[in-house]
Amino acid sequence: MPPIVQQIIDALTATPPLAGYLVVGAIMFAIGTWGALIRRNAVVVFMCVELMINAVNLTLVAFGDFLPGEKGLGASYAVLVIAIAAAEIAVGLAIVLAVFRSRRTVNIDEVNTMRG
Amino acid sequence: MTVAFAFLAGMTLVSAFGVVVSRNVVHSALFMSGSFLGVSGFFVMLNAPALAAFQVLIYVGAVTVVILFGIMFTQRPQARRFRTIINHQFWAGFLVAIGVGVFLAYLLAVEDWGQTSAGNGARDVAAFGKDLLGVSPGSEIFALLFEVASVLLLVAVVAAIVVSRRKTGEGVDRGVE
Repeated sequence: MPPIVQQIIDALTATPPLAGYLVVGAIMFAIGTWGALIRRNAVVVFMCVELMINAVNLTLVAFGDFLPGEKGLGASYAVLVIAIAAAEIAVGLAIVLAVFRSRRTVNIDEVNTMRG
Repeated sequence: MTVAFAFLAGMTLVSAFGVVVSRNVVHSALFMSGSFLGVSGFFVMLNAPALAAFQVLIYVGAVTVVILFGIMFTQRPQARRFRTIINHQFWAGFLVAIGVGVFLAYLLAVEDWGQTSAGNGARDVAAFGKDLLGVSPGSEIFALLFEVASVLLLVAVVAAIVVSRRKTGEGVDRGVE
């Protein structure tokens, strides 16, 4: 087998470095930020917040797997984050439904007063 | 591993982009579940298969379904043009997001994390469960966090019911909500 082919195979089967996961998490977080800032639909804003939470989870698990002193506790923190995110989505969608019931819209440009 | 990493990264990021730019809200929700699936693949690569299963069950299953319910309750005529789904901060938000992404990626990439090697995670579920309950050495804080999370979930469930409950004699009763 020529060495160049061996090099390519080695590169394809190598373990990705920690920075790769962290950069993917950072880009995902940035995309979630962008969506939460520019979208008008409140439900889509929730989805973008979920994307940001998932990016943070990815970062936590990557740290937990790669740092020796962490002993894999990043995954346990990620479970707690998932539980809190589930609670957030339940309360948030309840609020969205309550707002929709009183104003007939979920456009957050039009929902600009606290009083119903 | 690099092939799987590139595939999952592409799937996650393209789906996340699709959530933001999709005109149809239902398409956004489906793109979001695709992005969550990509993240669960990352969890498998990171020695946390139990967490990947939680991710698929909770996010791809439950959260997506709950969001689809929310979309169905608040359905409006679909936007035909891209301008109507975004507010006036398109480029400002883009600049902020680019700034956040580049700053975070740069910071996380140039930081010296010391001796890092893959495979420190607790791969077997028994050790993972002991970590979660705070009985394994070094994870005692989780005994507190577990209780706090359970109280928070109870409060959240009650709050969701209270907030979304229709007060009697208010609004039009259409018999379905």
